[in-house]
Amino acid sequence: MIPALEDFFDGILGRGDAAITVPPFDGSLKPNQLLEHAEVAGEFGAPEDLTVAGGALYLADGPALRRCEGHSSREVRRFDSPITALCGLPGGRLAIALAGTEIRVLAAAEGTDAGKVISGGLHAVNAIAAGPDATLLATDGSANEPYRDWARDLLNRGRSGRLLSINPETGEIRVKASGLQYAFGAAAIGDDSIVSESWRHRLVKVAANGTVAAVVDHLPVYPSRIAPASDGGFWLTAFTARTQLIEFILRERGYRKRMMREVPPEFWIVPRLRSGGSFREPMQGAHLKTMGVVKPWAPPRSYGLVIRLAPDFSPLFSFHSRVDGVNHGVVAAAESNDALYVLAKGPGRLLRLPIAKAKEVLAE
Amino acid sequence: MTDNVVEFRKATKLYAGVPAIQDVDFALRRGEIHAIVGENGAGKSTLTKAMSGVVMLTSGSMFVNGVEAAPRTPLEARHLGIAMVFQENSLVPTMTVAQNLFLGQEKFYNRLRGIYIAAQQFLQSLNFDVTPTMTVGLLGAAKKQMVEIARAVLHQAQVIIFDEPTASLTPEEKNYFFDLVRSLKQRGVSIVFISHALEEALLLADRITVLRDGKHVVTDDAGKFDRARIVQAMVGRDLSNTLYGKRKTAVRAAGERVLTVQNLKMAPMVKNNSLSVFAGQVTGVFGLVGAGRTETFKIVAGILKRDFFHGGEILLRGKPVRYRVPAPAVKAGIAYVTEDRKVEGFFETMSIARNIYLGILAKFPRGRFFLSSRESQKSGDDWISRLKVRAIGTRAKVVELSGGNQQKVVIAKSLAQEPDLIIFDEPTRGVDVGAIVEIHELINRLADEGKAVVVISSYLPEIMALSDRILVSRQGKVVEEFSALEATEEKIMYAAIH
Repeated sequence: MIPALEDFFDGILGRGDAAITVPPFDGSLKPNQLLEHAEVAGEFGAPEDLTVAGGALYLADGPALRRCEGHSSREVRRFDSPITALCGLPGGRLAIALAGTEIRVLAAAEGTDAGKVISGGLHAVNAIAAGPDATLLATDGSANEPYRDWARDLLNRGRSGRLLSINPETGEIRVKASGLQYAFGAAAIGDDSIVSESWRHRLVKVAANGTVAAVVDHLPVYPSRIAPASDGGFWLTAFTARTQLIEFILRERGYRKRMMREVPPEFWIVPRLRSGGSFREPMQGAHLKTMGVVKPWAPPRSYGLVIRLAPDFSPLFSFHSRVDGVNHGVVAAAESNDALYVLAKGPGRLLRLPIAKAKEVLAE
Repeated sequence: MTDNVVEFRKATKLYAGVPAIQDVDFALRRGEIHAIVGENGAGKSTLTKAMSGVVMLTSGSMFVNGVEAAPRTPLEARHLGIAMVFQENSLVPTMTVAQNLFLGQEKFYNRLRGIYIAAQQFLQSLNFDVTPTMTVGLLGAAKKQMVEIARAVLHQAQVIIFDEPTASLTPEEKNYFFDLVRSLKQRGVSIVFISHALEEALLLADRITVLRDGKHVVTDDAGKFDRARIVQAMVGRDLSNTLYGKRKTAVRAAGERVLTVQNLKMAPMVKNNSLSVFAGQVTGVFGLVGAGRTETFKIVAGILKRDFFHGGEILLRGKPVRYRVPAPAVKAGIAYVTEDRKVEGFFETMSIARNIYLGILAKFPRGRFFLSSRESQKSGDDWISRLKVRAIGTRAKVVELSGGNQQKVVIAKSLAQEPDLIIFDEPTRGVDVGAIVEIHELINRLADEGKAVVVISSYLPEIMALSDRILVSRQGKVVEEFSALEATEEKIMYAAIH
């Protein structure tokens, strides 16, 4: 059939690209409460990203860079703009992005500048990773909306995300991939890179020659930052789960435009990092709470999830905070001293999960 | 007057010279519940068919209330006060419940309204929640069973024979059925009860008769039996430890995600159902009758169609698929082993080899111009030996086989298609314990070979013995997932009901 006709009929019949469906949370993504019951290692006002540098855990809290030690933290340096990405580099250095438009390399312990300030051509940098040959990999989520306005990018069906390779010495920025539907998180594998493409619910591999191929597809979540795991593979965070309601809204262009025009952003029907602030919000849990138990397939508005990926990117297991929990909006994870530190941006919490113990619970 | 309402002495029935029952002595006392157990092919059905006039004995004699009788038709047996509720439904699906109830008792001038009122009153008196104006074909298995029972009661039978009455009933419906049987007993009706579920026989029966290979083994009070003794008598070997007794201590790791069902809908049975199936694992799907399990997987296999508008998606290895008929699904590597083998599983008057060959031919949706009897014979021989089908040869008709061997033929027909995803729907329903062990071994072997295996079962011990992961379905959708290591019968049932 002519593709345009096929699209037309698919739209009417709700199939093909117009099928408003969401993959299930099952198998290795089977819901549990490990994230919800994790130890709270700290609470912060505006946490954004997390990394390990020189054996210490650093956290971006609004414009402040903080070093976490046990249940306490101290401010290392305060900037003029909010930190939007954080990455530990060899030699006890840190790379940070400020307001998504500027990247700096710092000496982690002192917080002093240790390299050139890179700006220009950056718009919404939301994740940084160490790349090959001492370069930096950075994901620039959107060329149209600033970092804080990611929800508008989703509603506009943004596809202007980029993966950038940055030489911190010269400040040279090279676009490795573009046209991504909100790039949010990257990791290097040799000369290749892995990127979270949030709005397409997948991870893509960007080869050194620029070819892009999906390695994990049909995720039931919006994937975000990626952190390497100590024994191979990765930790993939997901800032919320997909719902049929949002999938439906994303098909209704007129509705979205009008909603953005007439409704305050806090009440838009979009994925959220936390929920429950107002009765005017769309329903959380969607009536699927029966006998005191919220069913795992209940459509959530916000959710907390970290997925452990094998080196071949197949999901091995996952840690959840379900719809009835609060540790939602997971945007970053970092492994340190046999524990996984998880940043739940929704409640502003830093969570700590001993990995071996968590695995034991999963095996029970 | 004798205490025995029905009695067989040296009863023998030969089919083409082969004895189905041989020199069987059997006595049914007035007002007792008598369970007959035995492997498939043990002769239970033949004995009860002789009792109900479906077949006639080759030799030996039958007595009803002490008087020798030889009913040649079910009608004659009914006049003697013997009614049979068949394992295969004997209702007319296109007629209403009331019409089925009064079938054969129609008057010259038959007023539908009159029989509907009579049926309504009668069903209410039995406390059966069945609408008399409903077409039988639209009823579920449990309600069809109720109509069958109601019909037997209506005919004022003094003996009612139930052949596998609980196979398609939910646990609640089973309890209801047991109460009904007990109330029939109180009315002085004698009940003959054939079941593979030994616990039911132990729970319900006053006396138990065990048959093996067409011969009477033992008859005793139910209180003197336990499960092990019955199994020992049935098969002549101790199977009790190998069947459902062992709990899983390890589960297979999930392989590739072979099947993803996303928000599938087929009103009114499947409601926004989502699930995944992985390679190298047995995924058990448990649910009560009406949970939409069979329908979901029939949609996957192209046997049923999902809703036309916004019916959801099925992804096979990540690619959306939609099969309107089974053939392309078979070609894509999906095999569905039906729960209703007698209707959907095989052509009963065709040979084993031809039935299996039909499975192979199903891989060619446009048909094959040349058919090879040699290939048919070869594949038949091959699968008979691989699945240990007990038959005279590949030319044996499927109708001549016992239930367990028929099921093996149905499985062979599907496996001959070399599928990657095999869906077993109630794989051991109406199958003897010996065949159950063999079918379970086969299912485990398929998962070990890396195939994605789905087992739909209403029998919890079977689900727990086979599955690596267990999905619980309720009211048209999967509501819970358990690892086999964490699952308990209580947890599964809780999820299935609440």
